[in-house]
Amino acid sequence: MTTLNAPEATAVEGMDALPDFTTDAYKDAYSRINAIVIEGEIEAHDNYISLGTLIPEHKDELAKLARMEMKHAKGFTSCGRNLGVQADMPFAKDFFGPLHGNFQTALQEGKVVTCLLIQALLIEAFAISAYHIYIPVSDPFARKITEGVVKDEYLHLNYGQEWLKANFESSKEELFQANKANLPLIRSMLEQVASDAAVLHMEKEDLIEDFLIAYQEALDEIGFTSREKARMAAAALAG
Amino acid sequence: MFGLIGHSTSFDAARRKALELGFDHIADGDLDVWCSAPPQLVEHVEITSPAGPTIKGAYIDSCFVPEMLGRFKTARRKVLNAMELAQKKGINITALGGFTSIIFENFNLLQHQTIRSTTLEWERFTTGNTHTAWVIARQVENNAPALGIDLKTAKVAVVGATGDIGSAVCRWLSMRTGVGELLLVARRQQPLLDLQTELGGGRILSLEEALPEADVVVWVASMPKTLEIEPSSLRQPCLMIDGGYPKNLDTKVAGNGIHVLKGGIVEFCRDIGWTMMQLAEMEKPQRQMFACFAEAMLLEFERCHTNFSWGRNNITLEKMDFIGAASVRHGFSTLNISPSLQISIA
Repeated sequence: MTTLNAPEATAVEGMDALPDFTTDAYKDAYSRINAIVIEGEIEAHDNYISLGTLIPEHKDELAKLARMEMKHAKGFTSCGRNLGVQADMPFAKDFFGPLHGNFQTALQEGKVVTCLLIQALLIEAFAISAYHIYIPVSDPFARKITEGVVKDEYLHLNYGQEWLKANFESSKEELFQANKANLPLIRSMLEQVASDAAVLHMEKEDLIEDFLIAYQEALDEIGFTSREKARMAAAALAG
Repeated sequence: MFGLIGHSTSFDAARRKALELGFDHIADGDLDVWCSAPPQLVEHVEITSPAGPTIKGAYIDSCFVPEMLGRFKTARRKVLNAMELAQKKGINITALGGFTSIIFENFNLLQHQTIRSTTLEWERFTTGNTHTAWVIARQVENNAPALGIDLKTAKVAVVGATGDIGSAVCRWLSMRTGVGELLLVARRQQPLLDLQTELGGGRILSLEEALPEADVVVWVASMPKTLEIEPSSLRQPCLMIDGGYPKNLDTKVAGNGIHVLKGGIVEFCRDIGWTMMQLAEMEKPQRQMFACFAEAMLLEFERCHTNFSWGRNNITLEKMDFIGAASVRHGFSTLNISPSLQISIA
């Protein structure tokens, strides 16, 4: 229904303009964002290799996923090089520190469900949402690479989704606990990256909502009810 | 399956509803939290038409609230994400309720067909405006005589005459009902002149000029908040159909021969086991709903899976005939002024 005092589109067009990729401010922010992405892909590689020890029957498939992640890391490294930016890898290591720690602890305890939630659901949903938001505001070189990567990441999310779906009843309780322990970390990672992301024209609000959409879709597919999903996601919203 | 995309009437109402549904953490969140909340499929319903068929549907809350209207990107994201969810759920035809279609139209969301990895299929969505227009036109025809207004000689003002719903109502009243005179009110002059040419009549007036002359006023535009109406300047009796969104006309003017009727509302012939119409503050939430929502149900009943109402000024009399006949056949009736009021007038 059209209304007399409804907002008009004319005043708001042009808000999706591309950033200036050549400024120092852009390159400074990019050095951290790019590092996070590269580190995320490298850790994903390591995590899928580790998961192969917990799910030996899927070792080959997981190794294949791991190889894809390493290819992504190389692709994103070239994105930084293309803009003349040196990725701030120490920053990225610290950034992933807490989540990395939780994954390692779960791995040592043989908690495959927790490991899958961290890597295949949370990190992949985080990556998918961030890449989708980055693509429209990226430079042409990075856009092409990111578009290719995002398609692969769905395969990775899908792997975790399918495993957890097949083992839903036995995994449910651990998933609740792992969600409670790890989703707040994703939230604080989003907070930490928000100001740099804004320089790249990626808004925090979009990042959170898109992450929650990807994550809830996965939870839905695994078998959680609407109410369970909303309750799980609430851990990310209530900052 | 049919779908309805709706939202709460205010941030407070949304929080209350979330609490009721057990989404405590979201309910406690501030507006920023809600701005990041993804759409939720909150309810499944099943409806059986008196004509036979039973259909299934789903209600999706976009988590939009009117307080977000000033945040263009947020509002846009809420609508597109809710539409994506509807499509991903495999819903055949989904109505865009409340502010959803307004945002879609005014923010020109047609240019945002790709949402992440999903290409929105427009044929899965309808604004529901054809049914809304038909219902409003029927509300005029049914209720004016009950108030002693003879439509053959009456002056009917349509405020928002050049909009999608407004122009359709004008077409119907002019060509089907045959009212005494149409008073055309809208902001922009050229579309008014075009409409006048198309109708072959109707008088273009400002709102201030039209109101004192009108026996019936059809509002298909929300009132500007600052607008004041002096009831003594209106004709008595005067029928006012509040077809805008949100419906706030009765707070401006009612009583003393001024009869305000909520426009574009229909009632189903039996209770529907849903809770979501409480959100829209319907008098009988188990049966009443916005006509635009009912349009999605009608299209599903009729297996007519197409974006039946889409774009601006595409509503023909033939389309109104089709959806009107379906509405009657499947057990919907238009909201009328209360029977007790009709008796007292008689």
